[in-house]
Amino acid sequence: MSPHGPSHTLEIRNLSVRAGGRELLSNIDADIRCGEVTALIGPNGAGKTTLLLAILGLVPFSGEIRFCRAEEHGQGTPRIGYVPQRIDLDRNAPMTVLDFFALSSQKYPVFLGRSRKSRAEAEASLGKGGVGHLIDRQLGKLSGGELQRVLLALALRGDPDILLLDEPVSGADVSGEELFCDFLDQVHKESRFSLLLVSHDLSVVTRHAGRVICLNRAIVCQGATTEVLTPETLGAMYGSGAHLFSHGPADGHGHLHGGEGK
Amino acid sequence: MDAFLSPAYALLDFLLPLSFAEPEFMKRAILAVLLIAPAAAAVGVPLVQFRMAFFSDAIGHSAFTGVALGVLLGIHPLLTMVAFGLFVAWAITRVKGRTGLSPDTVIGVFFSTVIALGIAIISAQKGLTRNLQAYLYGDLLAISGAEILWMATLCLAVMVYLYFAFNRILLLGVHEGFARSLGIRGRALEISFSLVVALVVTTAIRAVGILLVTALLVIPAASARNVAKGSVSAFWTAIAVSLASGIAGIAASYHLDTATGATIVLFAAALFAVTAIIRLARGETT
Repeated sequence: MSPHGPSHTLEIRNLSVRAGGRELLSNIDADIRCGEVTALIGPNGAGKTTLLLAILGLVPFSGEIRFCRAEEHGQGTPRIGYVPQRIDLDRNAPMTVLDFFALSSQKYPVFLGRSRKSRAEAEASLGKGGVGHLIDRQLGKLSGGELQRVLLALALRGDPDILLLDEPVSGADVSGEELFCDFLDQVHKESRFSLLLVSHDLSVVTRHAGRVICLNRAIVCQGATTEVLTPETLGAMYGSGAHLFSHGPADGHGHLHGGEGK
Repeated sequence: MDAFLSPAYALLDFLLPLSFAEPEFMKRAILAVLLIAPAAAAVGVPLVQFRMAFFSDAIGHSAFTGVALGVLLGIHPLLTMVAFGLFVAWAITRVKGRTGLSPDTVIGVFFSTVIALGIAIISAQKGLTRNLQAYLYGDLLAISGAEILWMATLCLAVMVYLYFAFNRILLLGVHEGFARSLGIRGRALEISFSLVVALVVTTAIRAVGILLVTALLVIPAASARNVAKGSVSAFWTAIAVSLASGIAGIAASYHLDTATGATIVLFAAALFAVTAIIRLARGETT
């Protein structure tokens, strides 16, 4: 860490995204700080994934997104790692986890075979994530949790400066979810990338994120997790019926829940 | 022109010393199939991954209008067919990217528009229907030496393209955002792939016809998906299915006096059935 406190990896200024005549995001100002875990929370349709896509340059936006690279990561444009929520693949798609790694790591086409180097690299990355045994499984047949750990292993391979995780524990069972978060904590401590985490699960947010950005088409509030996650802000975001520690999707407010304090 | 091809004819005599391969027009037909069937199958593997079967069908049917335009303008229909196919592929991909409409919707609009244009031209120009026959059903046995050379060039170009682009196309098919985060330029890749598909489709029309051309791209890749678990075996299974059905189809059509293109597609469909049965026998239902 720099002696002047955490610097910003990502500065978002006055960002708006419009699509089909509707404003999906308006006037977003936010900073992702270097080396910190920032959680992005908000109800369904709040524009969380849209914000990630804007950062990735996948949707047109107005305003500005500046990437600032911390000195210890060296010169050049920062690398962004991305773990999508799900992938667009049939269960039977003929593609193994190793194929998937080789697609991005080797120059020659995968149909000519996978290089030894691809396999060694894939083994190392998957092994670090504790999912080395999945290497020859078909990608489409993995469970949600397994898939996310494979995608995470792949996203981490290029030593990203910023890692964007879209709903990292959706589709994972409880023990898988804990493993995933522990693994994430561990690699985050080792590599000090900035992590932007979209989550519906407030227990994950309170345990792992230092900062929170509450989004509902515009910024509701942002700041340190302990200051931001108050009943007032949650009410503003999810509607007044929501409580931080009530496990109540039945009240019509979607996935808001806080598992730990129940 | 045929002087270029005589070494290939001699090789075929050696490899296939069978009665059906004796006449020179049969040799040309076999060469055409050996070139275009694997090229179509190779492009078909990422095409199926991308769920673009309908797209290739629309390009195939645009050839109908391309041929009509050629006759109307007095240009060789083969040239206008390829050019129009490329134009439609480009237009569909652009409109899809700009409007954000779902692919099948955009393709549906273009599909009917080009067919309507084709019918309008044909109905105004008497005597055009006869020209169209060869394109609707394919005319493998009437393929010229020049067309074989064009197919060989195309086959080479497709191989070079896939050598450099195959990995990125498959990644893009898995998840666009994820591929983009790895530095893949999605839009450019999508357009280039659409154009390559259009080239292969319009060229393959001479072999199996407008109505059946999608089968050459889709059935081998679909058969491969029944049995293959990885990308390597999927690709080569598709190539094998395309070659086997191509040769078997030509031989059978020679002896049974059936339309060559249709017979090839029937053999490919039979191989699809075999792979589906293998899949069921393994106990994999979903």
